[in-house]
Amino acid sequence: MFVQPKREKEIKPSQERQQRNTSLQQLGPKNILPLGYKCPRWPIFSPYSFSLKTPRSTLEQSRRDSRVRQTGERRDDDAMEAPQSSLRSALVFSFIAIAYLSLLVRSATLSSPELQILNAERRIDLTSHIIRVYLTLKVENTGAAPASEIFLAFPPAQVDHLAIVKAAATFGKKKKKSYLPLDVNPTDLPDAPNGAKCFSISLVSPLKTGESVTLEVLYILSHSLEPFPIEISQSESQLVYYHDSAIILSPYHIKHQTTFIKTSSPKVESFTRVEPSDRVGTELKYGPYEDRHSYSFSPIIVHFENNNPFAVVEELVREVEISHWGSLQVTERYKLVHAGARHKGVFSRLEYQHRPQFSGVSSFKHLLATLPPKVHSVYYRDEIGNISSSHLRTNSKKSELEIEPRYPLFGGWKATFVIGYGLPLQDFLFESPDGRRYLNFSFGCPLAETVVDKLTIKVVLPEGSKNPSAVVPFAVDQRIETSFSYLDVVGRTVVVLEKENVVPEHNSPFQVYYNFNPIFMVAEPLMLASVFFFFFIACVTYLHMDISIRK
Amino acid sequence: MDINVLAFLVPAGITACFLPLSDASSFVILYIVTSVYFSGVMVRLMLVLAPAACILSGIALSEAFDVFTGSIKFQLPGISRNSQIDVRDTSSAGVVTQDDGVKTDKNEESLKERPSKKNKKKERENAEKALIKPPLEKRLLVLPLEASVISLLLLVLLGAFYVVHCVWAAAEAYSAPSIVLTSHTNNGLHVFDDFREAYAWLSHNTEVDDKVASWWDYGYQTTAMANRTVIVDNNTWNNTHIATVGTAMSSPEKAAWEIFHSLDVKYVLVVFGGLVGYPSDDINKFLWMVRIGGGVFPHIKEPDYLRDGQYRIDSQATPTMLNCLMYKLCYYRFVETDGQGFDRVRKTEIGKKHFKLTHFEEVFTTHHWMVRLYKLKPPKNRIRGKTKKSKTKASSTTGSKGSGKRNPWQ
Repeated sequence: MFVQPKREKEIKPSQERQQRNTSLQQLGPKNILPLGYKCPRWPIFSPYSFSLKTPRSTLEQSRRDSRVRQTGERRDDDAMEAPQSSLRSALVFSFIAIAYLSLLVRSATLSSPELQILNAERRIDLTSHIIRVYLTLKVENTGAAPASEIFLAFPPAQVDHLAIVKAAATFGKKKKKSYLPLDVNPTDLPDAPNGAKCFSISLVSPLKTGESVTLEVLYILSHSLEPFPIEISQSESQLVYYHDSAIILSPYHIKHQTTFIKTSSPKVESFTRVEPSDRVGTELKYGPYEDRHSYSFSPIIVHFENNNPFAVVEELVREVEISHWGSLQVTERYKLVHAGARHKGVFSRLEYQHRPQFSGVSSFKHLLATLPPKVHSVYYRDEIGNISSSHLRTNSKKSELEIEPRYPLFGGWKATFVIGYGLPLQDFLFESPDGRRYLNFSFGCPLAETVVDKLTIKVVLPEGSKNPSAVVPFAVDQRIETSFSYLDVVGRTVVVLEKENVVPEHNSPFQVYYNFNPIFMVAEPLMLASVFFFFFIACVTYLHMDISIRK
Repeated sequence: MDINVLAFLVPAGITACFLPLSDASSFVILYIVTSVYFSGVMVRLMLVLAPAACILSGIALSEAFDVFTGSIKFQLPGISRNSQIDVRDTSSAGVVTQDDGVKTDKNEESLKERPSKKNKKKERENAEKALIKPPLEKRLLVLPLEASVISLLLLVLLGAFYVVHCVWAAAEAYSAPSIVLTSHTNNGLHVFDDFREAYAWLSHNTEVDDKVASWWDYGYQTTAMANRTVIVDNNTWNNTHIATVGTAMSSPEKAAWEIFHSLDVKYVLVVFGGLVGYPSDDINKFLWMVRIGGGVFPHIKEPDYLRDGQYRIDSQATPTMLNCLMYKLCYYRFVETDGQGFDRVRKTEIGKKHFKLTHFEEVFTTHHWMVRLYKLKPPKNRIRGKTKKSKTKASSTTGSKGSGKRNPWQ
């Protein structure tokens, strides 16, 4: 007999399924476990999961959004009832259930270590259009087997926009913290409800029973702030929606959790209230919540003002050409767009120039590109010619190129341009111990705080290079092409790396290895010299030859 | 731009061409006279004056060099002299302007020229002289040695300064691309890249099929850089078509909207130099829009726009001028820049300062206000207070406005 939770408001189908899942979990001491029932991967038949009591969640209506958004409501009051008479039989049955479960276990991985998150703290940084979420998890192994992997779950709407997931294990207390970076890989958990996707963090040493480890996870979301209203005029400021869950989605049971959200300005139009929640200035606090089921989810919306430049590069092609005569030539082609609320109506240059605080607050004019230190011959142009509004500042550590597109970018406006520069080769080309040469260059876009939808890096190796291969710290699509340039006979090998959804955290160095026989360097000068030489020899011979018949 | 020292060398050259008059020299004289007339009519035709002026100045300078070098050589020790020595004042040897009376001095000049023949310097001169009757007397014009040396040096200096002037004129006046303007401020070079800014904005932020209406000067630039369809461009020979655009620019807002709407125009581009002082803007070209438009459409009358025979935009301007589309599009909200609306090109305050646009809306203005882009507003769905007459026309948009008025473009 299932305990039907009382439903006061209409619940969405996804919530309904979650309801059914959780109600399945409520097979308690007074219910009989049917034979042949396939247990889910994660054992939830622990006695602790039945005494949950989820509080009611209320909703605060936003001014502009008249739709009613629901949160699932669960009431497990009835689960508390355990008739005294059948307590002994309930205990017996639970032991049988556990024994049955252990019999069903086949492989070692399925002998799932039961993990539990003791404490979870999540800090969401919404100041820029790239959302950074810092998750601190204290995971405890409550099961029998040691755990070598820890899983993270994400709702399907967020997985598409996930740019990077990084994890590290922390050791030590406050002042003496040390971090050990861990590998994170996407995996597939078959029982994850409603299409939630999972990532697995591989621990360096397996977590033994009863032990706990503290992990810090950083994940970055792009394109997750939805502008609302979708179109704004020049004098309005930009307001955006942020969709997330007040309760951290996780495959494990979380005992204690808190979420802090930091917005970019104190102007927050509305936010969903999931008790206990509070707001102070730019910081919203959701929590602390106690004892939440695995995969529990409570959707919230935060509607706030964000006027940070929503600079998105739709397509970036970076071409790095290696010349063994001592220089590296980089050419970058950008297609820039303002991805915030679209601009509608009049653009008045008068308002923009005379009242900058009230007009065009969400537009941007300047972009900063960070280039390597010893850069020379920098050019900034587009299809119709050179753009003169740029400034280059160099020092010994880095060079900063501040560029201004021809016009300020308002919502929905596009601009395209090309930036090119030269670099000395000795800073970037090295020789590896096994005799191969490798180019050490930084992946990613030099522009600060921009998201690149599609990044293509082409490394053009000199003629005569063999066995090219690339080593990149994250997943990219690789392929090899051939391009022809001056004085090329067989063509130059081009290593093409493509990646989507690139954020500034991807600016880490990557290497391209190749073999090069130094004799190929003289191939081109020899070719030129020999062509002229033979031409002159032919002329001399022709002039000195006498092929006339008569003497 | 200007011919500098050639201004006084040309008359000397004309005089030299007359002594003696041959086929070649008479051709050069006719060339210079006709080109001077035509460049007086339209200053751009100085382009045809330039080669003639250079030729004649070259002739004058070479004659002067002949005299001086002849004098020097003659007075160097060891050269035998024969016949008379005529010592004259050297100031008239081709350095001083001789504007008229060439023909009366012909005999005098011929007397001056013939003595130099004795030294047989230039073969060109000999060939020239051989065409006419052989001179009876050759008198050598010998000037004092020091004077001729100094004059020679001064002539060389004159040539050097002329070269310096020409290089400067070519760099400053002839090399301006006229699409990127520069000005020297105390902070260095200030660049006015407004044209390319407007064209780049058009090419990225409008739809591919949008049509842009402007005066024909900007047609090729818009097609090449903004990649948008234009209504008239530099190669349009259809005068009526240009007159249509000119009429639209000279008409009040509503009539202009009708014309542009019938041409399926989405954006209107005007060039305005009043904020920065750029003189070749559309308000200065406005007289041609009125004249060409008035030449084809009789309802545009040029006297409507003139006050005392002049085109004005200040408070003395005619009401037709203050209501025409070009005025409104150029000066829309211009008064709010400095409070008085002072136009730096026309050097006055504008006449009509505060007004609103009813049929157009501003979509982009460049950084220095040099190019302004406006969009045609879509017609209203409902017009208050007008009884709907049944329209048989297919397009309801042109029918909803201007009902009862015959549209001259259909």
